[in-house]
Amino acid sequence: METILLKNIENPNSADIDEYIKAGGYRSLQKAIEMQPKAIIDEVKKSGLRGRGGAGFPTGMKWTFASSDPKTPRYLLCNADEGEPGTFKDRPILEKNPHLLIEGMAIAGYAIGAEYGYIYLRGEYPGAKDILDTAIRQAYDRGLLGDNILGRAVRFHLSVHQGAGAYICGEETALIESLEGERGQPRIKPPFPVNVGAWSKPTVINNVETLSNIPYIIETGAEAYSKIGSRDCPGPKLYCVSGHVERPGVYELPMGINLRDIIYTHAGGIRGGEKLKAVIPGGVSTPILPPDKIDCPMDFVNMPKHGSMLGSGAVMVFDDTVCLVKVCYRALRFFDHESCGKCTPCREGTGWLSNILGRIEHGKGRDGDIELLLDVAGNMLGKTFCPLGDGAASVVQNFIRHFRPEFEGHIRDAGCRLQN
Amino acid sequence: MITVTINGKDIKLEKPVTILEAARTAGIEIPTLCYHESLELYGGCRLCLVEVEKMPKLQTACTLYVTDGMVVRTESEQIADARRGILEFLLINHPLDCPYCDKAGECDLQDLVEKYGPTAGRFAEGKRKHPESFDDPIIVRNMERCVMCTRCVRMCDGVQGDSAIAVTNRGSHSFIEPFSGGRYNCEYCGNCLTVCPVGAIMSRLHRHSYRAWLVETEVNTVCSYCGVGCSMVIQVRNNSINRVVPRFGLGINNGLLCVRGRFGYDYVGNEQRIKSPLVKKGGKLEPVTWNEAFNTVADRLKALRERYGGSALAGIASGRCTNEENYVFQKLMRCGLGTNNIDSSARLGYSGAQRYLENIFGQGVTANPIYGIANSEAILIVGGDPTAINPILGLQIRTASRNGARVITIGYAPGLERFNSIGLKPRIFTEGILLSGILCEILKIKPFTGENQTLESVIKGLSLRPAREIAEICRLAEDDIRKAAEAICNVSSISIVIGQDIIQRSNGNRNLFMLSSIGYMLNARMTLLSERPNEQGTIDMGCLPDMLPGGRPLEIETFRKRYEGLAGTEIPSGPGLTLMEMVEAAEAGQIKAMYIMGENPVFNLPDSNAVKKALGSLEFLVVQDIFLSETAKIADVVLPALAWSEKEGTYTNLERRMQHVRRAVDIQGMEDWRIISEIGKRLEVSMPYNSSEDIMAEMVRVSPLHTGLTYEDVDKGNALWPYKGEPLRAEMPSLSLSDENIIADKGKLYLMVRRPLFHSGTLSRRSYALNNICSEPYLRISRAVAERLSVKDGDVLKVSTVKGSLQVKTKVDISLNDSAVLLTNNFEGMGAFSLLGYKLDPVTKAPGIEGTEVTIEKGKPR
Ligand SMILES: Cc1cc2nc3c(=O)[nH]c(=O)nc-3n(C[C@H](O)[C@H](O)[C@H](O)COP(=O)(O)O)c2cc1C
Ligand code: SF4
Ligand code: SF4
Ligand code: SF4
Ligand code: FES
Repeated sequence: METILLKNIENPNSADIDEYIKAGGYRSLQKAIEMQPKAIIDEVKKSGLRGRGGAGFPTGMKWTFASSDPKTPRYLLCNADEGEPGTFKDRPILEKNPHLLIEGMAIAGYAIGAEYGYIYLRGEYPGAKDILDTAIRQAYDRGLLGDNILGRAVRFHLSVHQGAGAYICGEETALIESLEGERGQPRIKPPFPVNVGAWSKPTVINNVETLSNIPYIIETGAEAYSKIGSRDCPGPKLYCVSGHVERPGVYELPMGINLRDIIYTHAGGIRGGEKLKAVIPGGVSTPILPPDKIDCPMDFVNMPKHGSMLGSGAVMVFDDTVCLVKVCYRALRFFDHESCGKCTPCREGTGWLSNILGRIEHGKGRDGDIELLLDVAGNMLGKTFCPLGDGAASVVQNFIRHFRPEFEGHIRDAGCRLQN
Repeated sequence: MITVTINGKDIKLEKPVTILEAARTAGIEIPTLCYHESLELYGGCRLCLVEVEKMPKLQTACTLYVTDGMVVRTESEQIADARRGILEFLLINHPLDCPYCDKAGECDLQDLVEKYGPTAGRFAEGKRKHPESFDDPIIVRNMERCVMCTRCVRMCDGVQGDSAIAVTNRGSHSFIEPFSGGRYNCEYCGNCLTVCPVGAIMSRLHRHSYRAWLVETEVNTVCSYCGVGCSMVIQVRNNSINRVVPRFGLGINNGLLCVRGRFGYDYVGNEQRIKSPLVKKGGKLEPVTWNEAFNTVADRLKALRERYGGSALAGIASGRCTNEENYVFQKLMRCGLGTNNIDSSARLGYSGAQRYLENIFGQGVTANPIYGIANSEAILIVGGDPTAINPILGLQIRTASRNGARVITIGYAPGLERFNSIGLKPRIFTEGILLSGILCEILKIKPFTGENQTLESVIKGLSLRPAREIAEICRLAEDDIRKAAEAICNVSSISIVIGQDIIQRSNGNRNLFMLSSIGYMLNARMTLLSERPNEQGTIDMGCLPDMLPGGRPLEIETFRKRYEGLAGTEIPSGPGLTLMEMVEAAEAGQIKAMYIMGENPVFNLPDSNAVKKALGSLEFLVVQDIFLSETAKIADVVLPALAWSEKEGTYTNLERRMQHVRRAVDIQGMEDWRIISEIGKRLEVSMPYNSSEDIMAEMVRVSPLHTGLTYEDVDKGNALWPYKGEPLRAEMPSLSLSDENIIADKGKLYLMVRRPLFHSGTLSRRSYALNNICSEPYLRISRAVAERLSVKDGDVLKVSTVKGSLQVKTKVDISLNDSAVLLTNNFEGMGAFSLLGYKLDPVTKAPGIEGTEVTIEKGKPR
């Protein structure tokens, strides 16, 4: 398959504007600014593009909401916080193909009537910061950003804002708070950012990968685009595979590709021919799957029918040597560490769950601990302010659902068999 | 119309409100913790979860707005489980030290757990530890008890506007901390204390001295500090004050207080209170019986009156005393001593300014509701920092600013610096010229209406300088002056807030004229800041040399005759002396005796050393006070009065709302009015009062403004301007207007008075609490001056003027003009007024304080 998002990244100078233009870059922007903004939005709508940040919200719809809110100025934010454990799919775009994102943002900005854009970049990507800054400067120099884009009365300014290492700041409203200089905590919704976003103005927030789909959609048209991938959920998708596979890495594949194919065909199967024990298909927050449940099409629509979610497309593969209690414990320590503290169940619950799991993992588990874990998780689920807390609770539930005997074993044997 | 069904009950609503509010209107209770009606919505605690039909998950009632046809359930097994779960989460890291915690008994968490919580804990891990912080003298933080509702932060940020505290760290390690670290660097309003639902932020001053259930009585009263008149509840046990708290829904302050109101009341319990009457014998003040004191005062005053006539006697009334007391005081002076020499410290700004404005616009022109300021679209503030002088009024300006109002400050107003849209800092002493420049710009935009022909003709007759010239004199950008004028021109609801600094000028009347003209052109509401709780009352009760109760001019015979008829005595027909004139007359030997009630002129008037000399030369000086003030010390007789919390009466605040001051504790002693009545009786004045209410009954017959008013009206909140009486119309006899007075810029430094937040007059220096926050004066200097002298915060400086010199510590103030240095007038022996001379404004008779050059040099460390 032709690569769209990772196009040309083998070229060591792929991040340079000349190389990008040589490969056909910024033609879409030229085309876009000759279109009516509404026509662009219609095209994106027709393409069926869904947000790649995790929730799969239809992008065209989001743009319509924001562009039909009369308040101005409007803002376009790119979510490059990429904090979900196991996720590193946006990174190659940011570092190797920054102009694709910039072009996508310039088009999006024009479409929704935003004159200012910000890339909210994960603090742990200092390399990407420099690359983006350079790319943005180049784009300004070529008149591709600024007050008169391509000599027209089209205005779009772009800059990078670095996060400071909080996972919650990937959540769109917390991102806005952080961008505004406030404490990174989610806001009450509604109102949604499309109406009351950054500085209380209509704001579109899209993931890096989402925005990087835009130039192709404009260039080749919605129809051609929607032929890629699943019917309900078209387009190319970046899957980042990590863990015990022969060839971990980022793979650009059509939406809806079978999870088993990703692992066995593209990533080369389980490392050293070991036995597969479990897969987390879409980043730590998505439900873990046992080996017999991995025949599922990886897209936003189908994964829930197979007991999990596409999430960020971060496929984490565990072989037989892995202690899943430890994985679960490690995940909960992450959530405990990253809970913003705004709401009671997540603030207190993640810590409590992680404490119990730590005890079990370290051989100090007690009878009733599994019931307690489930009960505490149940007291969190559906009651937290944002999905982070829910995610934490569901991780515990899903690990126990599929791997309960391993937890029981830890308690019975006062520790982990695998590690002894 | 929206209909929402909660627990099967249909509730009809005019506009969408949250489920919680809808439920509350129907009397349905939903437990909450992070929600507070005065604060921005948050939705963090998750205690208010309810079921909403068609929504898969439970929803927080405090954040979700109802829609038509919504069906809500607030009680179910699922909800009960959720509440129990949340409360269990809140308790896992909570120390459960209720027996030791001051909040017990009025703790929301305790109450909620009792009602909805789990019966036993299942948390077997170690609790989070965080030592209690005693770094601050006033506020103790116990972060182990914190439930992270952020009510304190939302209060500090969103209501108080001080932004002094924040959540630090993340997740379960989140704590509330002041930005300044351990010790707070804030306005100490204590409003965070009020909203903290648990014992996490507590008053150190009340630590372990207080149990909610041991409060015996609660007394609703009004703060004794400033002219806002905040409502407060005094909690009493064993006939002593436990605490003072505000109440949401009560009074103009609606749950808020400032530092003085919340903490400063403790002066009443200071052991330095005078306990017995004192009479000077052999040069020393000796305790005597009340009877002896009364007889001495009556006999001496009578003798002096006979010898020199009433015009040789004078009285100073008090903006800290009640209306009733001030009424009785003027009656004693007029009817008992035959003099109109009556004035009060309101003369330092408030009363003369009000009179000036009323001459133009009619009586009551400044009687504008304080809450109206928050609803203004533009506010012009000049002559003082309202957030320090009248803090709760200041908050209204901050609120207005948050709501998008254009806030324009002229001069030093550090408390509004983050809230003003335009902050003009003209060169020192040129504020009035700037006002004329703004007026000039307004006249270009706004047409005359012809409503007040006299005023318009005076305005037309002014020769106003063009903005360019003004900009040069004031050292401002021309454009800023224009912008300021435009900002207030283009809106429909404007407030002008006027502080003393602009009045205390030898041509202060000119400044007031400019403000009147601006106000007239823009149809603005005017408010005068007021440093005492009852300055307005001294005016309305007739404690003025030329005004009878009800603001009736003495010179108009019908009013005078009416007064005399009711009093049964003749009174002198000519006006008496104003405050500073009395002092000058004392110095000149024309005033022989003075009766001072609740005021400390020896310290509180400019050129205070001269004042001391003048009053020291009197043949007879009576001082009635609660402390042995600088003035009391040189008196011949000192009469100890009861304090604010020990007596009944009324105050009239700066919006002319009369409010009830109530007795909270029973102390042996005499109210000011009772003391005066005793003396009055000995001087054959009819004073048949058994209670303050009796005085009110008489007063409302004498004052045509208050006709028929009763305590019941006051208690019901109906004693609002114009009461039940008749306000006087404007007369505008002639508008006298002093000339411009430009003090050339000679690169000198000038001393000005700073009016602080943490202190007030000489009362607050007896407050343990306020002294803990701020125990000594600082000379405030600008950064440039500090650099020039190479001094830093805390260095001791020697400040000298022609009047004298002082050694005082310094503080760099970035809000300050480079040619001004500021010193407060609160601390014993360290008052700015000892270094400042004055020149009377011929119209308002306020002392003009301007052009006092100072030299500062590094002093010796004290
Ligand atoms: C706890 C949490 C963390 C998130 N982190 C990210 C992230 O790192 N990157 C991202 O693109 N979206 C993240 N999201 C999703 C965003 O809130 C938002 O849905 C997304 O940026 C929308 O972009 P899209 O429509 O292009 O997917 C996160 C959501 C939650 C609840
Ligand atoms: S679930 Fe609550 S505490 Fe957790 S990250 Fe979201 S808002 Fe913060
Ligand atoms: S200190 Fe009190 S008010 Fe502030 S967050 Fe904690 S519990 Fe809430
Ligand atoms: S604003 Fe004035 S009346 Fe209110 S609490 Fe403060 S000092 Fe008292
Ligand atoms: S009261 Fe509703 S979430 Fe706290």
